[in-house]
Amino acid sequence: MKGFATRAIHGAQLKPEAHGSLRPPVYDNVAFEFADSNQIQLAFEGRKPAHAYSRITNPTVEELEQRVRILAGAQGVVAVSSGMAAISNIILTLAEAGTNIVTTRWIFGNTFSLFEHTLKPWGLESRYVEMTDEKALAAAIDNKTRAVFLEVITNPQMQVADIDRVVAIAHEHGVPVVLDGTVTTPYLFNSRAHGVDIEAISSTKYISGGATSMGGLILDNGLFDWRQNSKLAPYAKKFGPGALLAALRREVYRNAGACQSPHNAFLQTLGLETLSLRIDKSTANALALAQWLEAQPKIRVVNYPGLKSSPYYERSQRLFPRGVGGILTFELASRAECFAFQDALQLVRRATNINDNKTLILHPASTIFCEFDENEKAAMGVSDAMLRMSVGIEDVEDLIEDLERGLAAL
Amino acid sequence: MQLVVNGKNESFSATRLTVAELLQLTGVESPEMVSVQLNEEFVDRAQYPSTSLKENDAVDFLYFMGGGAQ
Repeated sequence: MKGFATRAIHGAQLKPEAHGSLRPPVYDNVAFEFADSNQIQLAFEGRKPAHAYSRITNPTVEELEQRVRILAGAQGVVAVSSGMAAISNIILTLAEAGTNIVTTRWIFGNTFSLFEHTLKPWGLESRYVEMTDEKALAAAIDNKTRAVFLEVITNPQMQVADIDRVVAIAHEHGVPVVLDGTVTTPYLFNSRAHGVDIEAISSTKYISGGATSMGGLILDNGLFDWRQNSKLAPYAKKFGPGALLAALRREVYRNAGACQSPHNAFLQTLGLETLSLRIDKSTANALALAQWLEAQPKIRVVNYPGLKSSPYYERSQRLFPRGVGGILTFELASRAECFAFQDALQLVRRATNINDNKTLILHPASTIFCEFDENEKAAMGVSDAMLRMSVGIEDVEDLIEDLERGLAAL
Repeated sequence: MQLVVNGKNESFSATRLTVAELLQLTGVESPEMVSVQLNEEFVDRAQYPSTSLKENDAVDFLYFMGGGAQ
């Protein structure tokens, strides 16, 4: 099975289903029974491969994990309750007080808030550089750096760093790269093939099949020697390349309690099966809309790496041969114009989500980034005149007709 | 030979065993998912056939369930 779509549907082979159902049942339960005391002791000691309690493992969640593992070619996958849970669990596993991570201001507002407002008081330093500035990146890494963190395509700036170079620089310093691959998923970008060590994905987005459920995924690509990480070295001694997965499953993920619900995992496994179809459609729609918007005199700037006018076009063609996904941003003259444009739309929904089947629009400065002051927003590349659109899988002619309503309101 | 397998003293009629042979002898569940530790040190999967066990070695078969390494 070489094709992505084939593997998405037929990839995981777990235990035979009792009734031969082609769709495994949802194990929407908490606890699992054991034959005797010895068996339950072995399971708790990790000496028996068995589910004991659904906060730690669950058969329905495991099916999602295995399917994603096969699709991505990862060493192992841990499904969590949201994309933010994926990022927080990864950082809590890799870093500790007195260490640092190197990242950029051009990241999701909640991720920046996690680093700056939640983790900083616990002693973790976050260092911010331009990921496109190789010298600054190299200079920011020191012997206390536990990860380089970036997003595959930044949102809402739509910047694409040279991920291959970021990986090379981080690895020269013995530091793993953590990539948020939510907007591409393993269909548009295989992080392992580009040397990324850990990928975090909000499976709430494309993978959930149309905003059906919350979820996150942690993919360990099995490329990093965890003996180089002081916190994981004891796990590496016992588990070798499985150190990160063992530390998550036996400590951080287990203790933090950010498990994905079995019902959500069922929906997300279902979503995986149509992932490539939906991404192809939303990507084609997004490119068509970006080209159309670029031709409209009232639109000042369109940010979409799939446009030939984008400074990241050539790089994107190399990194994302199947396309750059369904998110684009554009700028009008002011916040007032953005609000007038949004409010005139009848088909496109005003909502804060991305990679839904529906096309969604949002004014980032007054929503996701509202907790930051004007200087911080400027440093984060968030303009007050910017709108973000997450393009769905509708007929593109209907979307253009709706955007014409928005422009007519200006 | 005497070994400590998963914390229990066990006797084996064979006088020489490798990790791969011990995995087979003990009928370990889901061997593709197991992580082997020899005297509390990780053993690489590729080394199972060539890693010989000594008298009184402690061997542990450990799992971290769900999407685990293969």
